[in-house]
Amino acid sequence: MALPNQQTVDYPSFKLVIVGDGGTGKTTFVKRHLTGEFEKKYEPTIGVEVHPLDFFTNCGKIRFYCWDTAGQEKFGGLRDGYYIHGQCAIIMFDVTARLTYKNVPTWHRDLCRVCENIPIVLCGNKVDVKNRQVKAKQVTFHRKKNLQYYEISAKSNYNFEKPFLYLARKLAGDPNLHFVESPALAPPEVQIDIAAQQLHEAELIAAAAQPLPDDDDDAFD
Amino acid sequence: MDDLERAILISFDESGTIDSVLKSQAIAYCQQIKESTSICSICMERLCISKIVQVQFWCLQSLHEVLRVRYSSMGPEEKSFVRKTVFSMACYEAMGDKSSVRVLEGPAFIKNKLAQVLVTLIYFEYPLIWVSVFTDYLPHLSKGATVVDMFCRVLNALDDELISLEYPRSADETAVAARVKDAMRQQCVSQIVRAWYDIISMYRNSDPEVCTSVLDSMRRYITWIDIGLIVNDAFIPLLFELIFSDGLPDQLRGAAVSCVLAVVSKRMDAKPKIRLLQSLQISRVFGLIAEDSDSELVEKVAALLTGYATEALDCSKSLNSQEDIAVSMELLDEVLPSVFYVMQNCEIDTTFSIVQFLSSYVATMRSLSPLREKQLRHVGQILEVIRALIRYDPSYRDNLDALDKIGREEEDRMVEFRKDLFVLLRSIGRVAPNVTQVFIRNSLASAVASSTDRNVEEVEAALSLFYAYGESISDEALRSGSGILRELVPMLLSTRFPCHSIRLVALVYLDTIVRYMKFVQEHTEYIPMVLAAFLDERGVHHPNVNVSRRASYLFMRAVKMLKAKLVPFVETILQSLQDTVAQFTTMDCTSKELSGSEDGSHIFEAIGLLIGMEEVPLEKQADFLSALLTPLCQLVEASLLNAKVRNPEDSCAKIASIQQIIMAINSLSKGFSEHIVIGSRPAIGLMFKQTLDILLQILVVYPKVEPLRCKVTSFIHRMVDTLGTSVFPYLPKALEQLLAESEPKKMVAFLVLLNQLICKFNTGLHDILEQVYPSIASRIFNILSAGGLSFWTWEQYRGNS
Repeated sequence: MALPNQQTVDYPSFKLVIVGDGGTGKTTFVKRHLTGEFEKKYEPTIGVEVHPLDFFTNCGKIRFYCWDTAGQEKFGGLRDGYYIHGQCAIIMFDVTARLTYKNVPTWHRDLCRVCENIPIVLCGNKVDVKNRQVKAKQVTFHRKKNLQYYEISAKSNYNFEKPFLYLARKLAGDPNLHFVESPALAPPEVQIDIAAQQLHEAELIAAAAQPLPDDDDDAFD
Repeated sequence: MDDLERAILISFDESGTIDSVLKSQAIAYCQQIKESTSICSICMERLCISKIVQVQFWCLQSLHEVLRVRYSSMGPEEKSFVRKTVFSMACYEAMGDKSSVRVLEGPAFIKNKLAQVLVTLIYFEYPLIWVSVFTDYLPHLSKGATVVDMFCRVLNALDDELISLEYPRSADETAVAARVKDAMRQQCVSQIVRAWYDIISMYRNSDPEVCTSVLDSMRRYITWIDIGLIVNDAFIPLLFELIFSDGLPDQLRGAAVSCVLAVVSKRMDAKPKIRLLQSLQISRVFGLIAEDSDSELVEKVAALLTGYATEALDCSKSLNSQEDIAVSMELLDEVLPSVFYVMQNCEIDTTFSIVQFLSSYVATMRSLSPLREKQLRHVGQILEVIRALIRYDPSYRDNLDALDKIGREEEDRMVEFRKDLFVLLRSIGRVAPNVTQVFIRNSLASAVASSTDRNVEEVEAALSLFYAYGESISDEALRSGSGILRELVPMLLSTRFPCHSIRLVALVYLDTIVRYMKFVQEHTEYIPMVLAAFLDERGVHHPNVNVSRRASYLFMRAVKMLKAKLVPFVETILQSLQDTVAQFTTMDCTSKELSGSEDGSHIFEAIGLLIGMEEVPLEKQADFLSALLTPLCQLVEASLLNAKVRNPEDSCAKIASIQQIIMAINSLSKGFSEHIVIGSRPAIGLMFKQTLDILLQILVVYPKVEPLRCKVTSFIHRMVDTLGTSVFPYLPKALEQLLAESEPKKMVAFLVLLNQLICKFNTGLHDILEQVYPSIASRIFNILSAGGLSFWTWEQYRGNS
C-alpha cells in the first residue's frame, strides 16, 4: 500500500505513527534500527521525522515508515495532523516517569480520532533503569482497549523487534508471520538485568490476575 | 489552488523531496495566517470550498486551537459566527451555494475533527450560552444516516474529551463535565434516548452501520444516565431482538450485546442489581456461543456472560438476606456452564477476563466448606478447562522439540499463557484438594492411553498440571503423601510415558519428580525408581543435550535431598555415570554450547555430594575420589607438559578442556567438608592438596590466560573452604602468581580472594599476609597512580573488606 506522500518501494510498506510524551525514548527507539539512520546527539524532535525501517519476514520484505512525532507540545508542528493515513501505531511511555503513563489514554484518544481501527502497540520503555515508577502490574490500559503491550528498553535493544512483529502480523492478517533475519541494531548501550526484568514480567502476570481498576485516576493515588 | 492551500500541502509533506527552505517558508506562512485576527472566517471559507483533506484538517485544527486558547478574548459576534457555522456543518446544511463542499462528506477523521471543535464550543457554552445545542440537533437527525453518524461522533467526542473518567482531567474540566452531565440529564437525555430508539427501529435493516454507531455511543452513556431509560419494556426487548437477528451483521448484534453488558455493569446497589440481572433472562443468549467459535459476536457474548457472572458473584458477596444470596447464586450457577463452554471452545481473546472471574469465584469458595455438590462439579469443569487450554498444539511438536525460532516463540508464549491458569489451578487445589488430585490422576492415565497423534501434548499437559499443583502443597502433606498423593507419586515414577524422547515431556517429568522428592524422602522404597529415572535415557542419558544437562542439575538437587539414604546405591550410581563423566572432560570445545548455569558440571557436584558423605567408609571414599581425580589431574599434567609445543588453535582446544576439568574438580570438591578432609580423614585431604599442587601449575604455564586464572582462583576459593589452614603452605606462591600478571581490573578478583582468607582465618593469616603485603601494596599503588583502578572498583573492594 503506497502512502500519498512517500516515495514508494516495490514491497509492502506501512505508515507507522509513534506517539507518546516527550523524553519517553521514541527517537532513540526508531534509531536503534540501523537501516534507518545513526543516532545524532539528543535533541527533542521538532514536528516529525520519518524513518523507513525494513524487516525481512517469511513472506518477504516489508517496510514501516516510522513517523517519529514530537512528544512535547511546544515542538508540536502539525501534531495530530501527522497521524493522517496512519496504518498502525506505537504509543510509548517511560516506566520511570509516572506522568508519561497517565497520559497514555490521551495519546490513544488523539490517535484514534484520526486513525479509526488501526493496530496499536503500547510500549513501556526504559525497563533497564533500576528505579521504575510504573510497575508492570500497574499497566492495565492495554487490556481495556485491546492493545498489545510490550516492555522494552531501547538502549539495550530489549524486545526491539516485538512491536514491529505484532504490527506486521496484524497488518498481514497472518498470525504466523515471523521475521526470518534480525535487523541490524545499534549495539546495546546498557545490559539489561534479565533477572530483574523477569521479576517485572512475573509481576505483569500476577497483575493480569488482578481486577481492572474502575478508574484510572485512582491507579496511582 | 491558492497560496494557503499550497503552503498547507507543503507543510504536511514528509516525503523528503521538498526543499527545506521552501518548507520552512510554507510553515511560517501557515503560522502567520493562524495568528491573523480573521483566522476563524478564513477557516470557515476554506472549509466550504476545499476538498483537500489536509486543508480541511488544518482549518479544523486551527479552529480548535483558536477556541481553546483565545475563546475568552473573542467578541460575541465572532463566537456567534463560529457557533452557527460549525453547527450548520455538523447538521449537513449547505453553506452558500449548492456547489459548496460539505465537511460531512469527507473522511472519518475530518468528521471527528469537526466533532472535536463542536465539543469545544459545548465545553465553553453549554448550557449557559448555548442551551439548545442538543435539542436543536435532534430534529436534524431525520435528514438521514449522515447526520445521525455525525451526531454519534459528537456524543463520542463529548465523552472522550470531557466526560469519560478514562483520561486525566484538571479540576476545571471535571467541574465542566459535571455541569454538562447535570444539564443534559435535566434537559435532553430522555429525548436523546428516544432518538436512539427511533433511529435503531427505523434503520436496523436498511443501515445497520449507523445503528451500530448509535449503539456504540449509547454504551458510553449508560454509565451515567438514568438506567430506567434503557431498562424498560421498550429498549431491552429491542436490544435482544437485534442480538437474535440472524440476518443482521455481527457488528450490530455485538454492539447490542455490549449495551446489555453496560446495563449489567452499571453501578448500583446489590438488591436492585439482582432484580435487574434476573429480569434480563440471560439464558437466552447461551445458544449464541455455540454457533460459531471465533466471531466478533461470540467474543462480545463471552464478555457479557463473564460480566454477568462477575456481577452475580459480587451481589452474592454484598447481600445480607439468605433469600437474596440464594437468588444470586442461582443466577451464577445458571451462567457458569456457558462461561466454561466459551473458555474451552471459543478461540477468542477474553480468556483473561474469564480467568480473572474464575479466580474470584474460586476465592469465594474458601469460606464455604464443605463445597456443595454443584460447586464441586464446577470446580471439576474449571479443571477440565485449564487442561484443555494449557495443551500445546500438536502442529508445533517438531518445532518445540528442535527448539527452533518458532518452537522457542511458542514455548515462551505458552509459559506466559499458563501462568494465570496455574494460579487458578493452585487456588482450586487449596479449596478442593481431593477433586484436584483425582483429576490429575485421571489426566495422567488418559494421557498415556491417548492416541499417538496427540499423546505427546496430553502427557505434557498432564505432567505440567501435576508439577504446577505441587507448588501449593504443604511440606507436611508432601511428606506424608496426603490424599491420593501416595498413589500419584509412585504412578509418576513407574509409568512409562510413550513419548519420553520428546524434550518438553522429559523436562517436565524430571522437574515433577524433584518437586515431589519430599515424599520419596519419607518413602525410601521408591529410591530405586527415582534413580532409574535420572540415570537412564529419561535423564542424564537422554539423547537431547538440553534434557541431559538439566537432568544433571536436577539429579544434583535430588541427591542433596536424599543424601545419606543413597549410600547403598553409590556404586551403582557411579557405574552408570562413568560415560557421562568421561564425556564431560573430553568435550570438544567447538561442539559445546554452554547454556548459562546448566553446563553439565552439576553431575560432578552430585557425585561429590554422594562420595563425600561421612557414611561412605574411608577406604571406599578414597577409591572413588582417586578414580575420579587421578585421570583428571593426569589430563591436566599432560596438557601442561605439551603446552609449549602446540600451535594456537590446538591450544585453544586445550585451554577449553582444562577449564572444563577445573570446573569438574571444583564441583566435585563441594561435597567434601573441612571436617572430613582435614579432621577425620587426612588421606582425602592429601588428595586435594596434590590436586591443588597440579592446578597451581596452570598459573605458571598459562600466566596470561584469563579464563584459566579465573577458574584456578575459584578453585583456590574452594580449597580455602575445604582444606582450612592446611591451604596455608600453598598461599604465598599462589598469591604471588595471581598478583604478578594481574591486570588492574582483575585485581578486584584477587582482593576478593584475600578478603575471603582474612575473614576465614583472621589473625591466623598474619604471617602470610605480612610476607605478601609489600608486593600487594606496591602493585596497588602502581595501578592507582596509573589511573588503572577506577574509584568504583576501589570502593567496591573497601565495601567488601
